[in-house]
Amino acid sequence: MKTPLESLNNPALRELQLSAIQCRKKIIEMGYVNHIRLHYGALMSMVEIMMALYCQWLNVDPANPNWQDRDRFVLSKGHGAPALYVALWMRGFFAEHHFQGFRRLGSILQGHPDRLKTPGIDCSTGSLGQGFPVACGMALGAKMDGARYRVYCLLSDGECNEGSVWEAAQIASNQKLGHLKVILDRNRKSSYGWMAGRNDVEPLAEKWRAFNWAVFECDGHDFEEITTGLTNLEAVTDQPAILICHTVKGKGIPYVENYPTKPNILLTEEKYQECLAHLDQVESELRDE
Amino acid sequence: MNDVIDIPTAYSLALVEAGKRHPNLVVLDADIPDSCRTEPFYEAFPERAFDLGVAEQSLPTFAAGLALIGKIPFYNTFAVFAVHRGLDMIRQSVCYNRANVKIVGHAAGQSLGYAGPSHHTLEDISALRAIPNLVILTPVDAEEARQMVAWMAKYDGPVYLRLSRSAVPSVHASRYVFEVGKPELLRQGTDVSVFISGDMVTLGLALQERLHEEGISAQVVNVSTLKPLLPEDIVRYGCQTHAALTIEDHSIYGGLGSAVSEIYAEHLQKPLKRIGIPDMFTESDDKDVLLKAYGVNLEVALQGVQALLEKC
Repeated sequence: MKTPLESLNNPALRELQLSAIQCRKKIIEMGYVNHIRLHYGALMSMVEIMMALYCQWLNVDPANPNWQDRDRFVLSKGHGAPALYVALWMRGFFAEHHFQGFRRLGSILQGHPDRLKTPGIDCSTGSLGQGFPVACGMALGAKMDGARYRVYCLLSDGECNEGSVWEAAQIASNQKLGHLKVILDRNRKSSYGWMAGRNDVEPLAEKWRAFNWAVFECDGHDFEEITTGLTNLEAVTDQPAILICHTVKGKGIPYVENYPTKPNILLTEEKYQECLAHLDQVESELRDE
Repeated sequence: MNDVIDIPTAYSLALVEAGKRHPNLVVLDADIPDSCRTEPFYEAFPERAFDLGVAEQSLPTFAAGLALIGKIPFYNTFAVFAVHRGLDMIRQSVCYNRANVKIVGHAAGQSLGYAGPSHHTLEDISALRAIPNLVILTPVDAEEARQMVAWMAKYDGPVYLRLSRSAVPSVHASRYVFEVGKPELLRQGTDVSVFISGDMVTLGLALQERLHEEGISAQVVNVSTLKPLLPEDIVRYGCQTHAALTIEDHSIYGGLGSAVSEIYAEHLQKPLKRIGIPDMFTESDDKDVLLKAYGVNLEVALQGVQALLEKC
């Protein structure tokens, strides 16, 4: 894996874009079929990041999920579990039928990531601001071992309200955790809405720089920019590095993106079909290009 | 057996020994490796010891991350902060992950008497006992502390080790073998069972002697594993006497007294009295002064036993 930008030719790029559409379709299907309210806003903002990681970048082996030298991935924004499940399924970690039991008793797919139940999950998360410090601990161990693998972590901007994030960020730079590669989903909204003027985290890039991190930024819905960003992260070896991905909550599904309040909605048959039709249309246009 | 070694020293030495046996053993601190007696480990294995700074809530999470890639992290700070500062982290990142993390709470109970209630650890067992996947240990003496550390390094799973700073007698010879989950009979008796843990062994043994002088036969049981605690292991001792007394340097809510009471209520239906810290924030003073003030002392325990036996 770790497809660099120069190898991201048009067919490869289109495959990634199509995978993002497939991911969005699967996520709304998970919510609709199982009659469950999902964090559609937060899920849609992370789709391209997850597809880039699991379809293009991470060194993982579905046949051997506990492979010692695999890249680690920690979903610190644990409410994004459905997007992680779709990514793991697309990479081949488990069969599609498991989605039928999603969030039900006995399912391998719990409401939030559970490393003991789902193949391919490296850390159970769900309490915001904790996956990131656990990833820091993993990176500390990786550094001790001189490991070849890297520890990736997807953090949300809302989580940057948590003190535990900054405590760990400071330790990570003090310990020079060069194995640590954090991707920040900067969708500018936390659960209760826009963060600006309420629970703002700006100036975000300056904050991470002030904590002695290597900081990069990109459009979190553009695969070429994400790829460049991941390549930049990889090049940093003597300090922790973060890629701030500027994203849009609800991206790719206008009904969710424009939802006036928190889009943790129970999709009706009508709305599900409307969302699906939109995604079909986008897919059709992409294939016709 | 060595009469001069206290529990903190025993822990310090045992940690270095465990480090020799387990190349993956890692030590984390939060700015007080001196107070936690981990400095010898830093000297022996500088590449495996990390002081994260004044960052107690990062201890459980960093330790979980280390554990998830195969290390055996022992994290150290005062018990009150080791447990309560990162309690959500212990629940979510350590226990739910079933990460092989060893939480070591130092100066537990009222060991730091003069520092006051901010530094007294009286609710740690209550807070931790309901969290799945966690083993809770507290040694009565140096030998048991040494063996617990060796066991913890071998065991794959989260453990909380509650360490007192008080001087305690050595009740174990080196031939003693610590067995997790098994209460241990320290003194035999037929009238009343006295269940103790940690440094309350001193009071428990003094009580037994005093009761003996008064013609009352007490057995003293060391409950050094507070979780898991199987009913049959308490019933085995409880069925041999008429009543029970528990003694702990901990809140009477949720600790040893609660754990034993639960088993007595469901399996024995015999009178039981809990000696522990009442539901209150304590104050500063010498630990012995505090224990006396809060009713964890010989006189109260004697009265407790006499009242219990009157009911039988």
